[in-house]
Amino acid sequence: MKNILLIIAVLATGIITQINAQKYITKTGKIEIFSETPLFVIDGVNKKVASILNSANGDIVASTLIRSFRFEEALVEEHFNENYLEPNKFPKAIFKGKISNFEGVDLGKDGTYDITIVGKLTIHGQTRDIEETGKIIVENGKISASTQFNVSLKEYHIKIEKAYKKAIKDEIKLNVHFDYKFYR
Amino acid sequence: MNKTIKNLLILAAIGLVIGLGVVYYIFNKPHRDVAGEKPSFKVEAKVLFKEYSANEMAGNEKYGDKVIQVTGKIVEIVKDSTEVSIVLNDEMEGVNCALNTKTVEENLNKINNFQVGDEVSLKGKCDGFDMIMGVVLTQCYLVK
Repeated sequence: MKNILLIIAVLATGIITQINAQKYITKTGKIEIFSETPLFVIDGVNKKVASILNSANGDIVASTLIRSFRFEEALVEEHFNENYLEPNKFPKAIFKGKISNFEGVDLGKDGTYDITIVGKLTIHGQTRDIEETGKIIVENGKISASTQFNVSLKEYHIKIEKAYKKAIKDEIKLNVHFDYKFYR
Repeated sequence: MNKTIKNLLILAAIGLVIGLGVVYYIFNKPHRDVAGEKPSFKVEAKVLFKEYSANEMAGNEKYGDKVIQVTGKIVEIVKDSTEVSIVLNDEMEGVNCALNTKTVEENLNKINNFQVGDEVSLKGKCDGFDMIMGVVLTQCYLVK
């Protein structure tokens, strides 16, 4: 009996390791946000973005805390937090989805692969379906992923006061970059 | 007449100086001084993680956006070209601390000598709880 349990335990550990071995992770991903009007420049960066890529099926998750964004100007940072993103109520942004054309990506082979990312993006408590293009680059076995796309403030119920309507565009540019590491 | 114009000019000049001052202040408002702030809490990394994982809302209520000091064992040091993050406590139950770039520059030797298992105290801004990273602190400084 003891032996059987032991065998099961060993097998289970083996299976778990195998599942884990199919995943890539980063805890130092980067999101840059940018918006410019003649009146105002919003230029922020968040270097604490986490993501896991499942190399078996192309599933991808990413998450970050709103408060980890840093801005060039302190005043913009204050407004971003207090007036617009409201991290007290909605502390994080999360993406859950997959690379829809993952069959065309060979993580074992160096190269640049065009990808399409499909899934649900949650910002400011609002979840929206998104479909964006991006790239996976495999170089010397190192995997990185990046995508650039715009989000509409209105769509995520982020309100801009009338006084700032002209100073802030509805479309904010996001620049996302992950350098993945093998997940033990 | 001459005097009135002179006074008006002086007034206008004063107004301009004040106006410019306000604009200058708004666009040069200093960032929050995490280094100079006294920590609102001094807490062990283990305790901090437990509190957050038990109740994230309560954790944010207590620690969110506050400067806190955490102490714990290093389980992981993540370095890239300019950024260093130190993960305390446990790989799965981490307190993930991103060091301030200035701290990294000034303490390069010390940081390079850090090893997994060392106990350190860090002071930084608590940003919240993430399912992958655990509790996240940014703009962290080394506490002696």
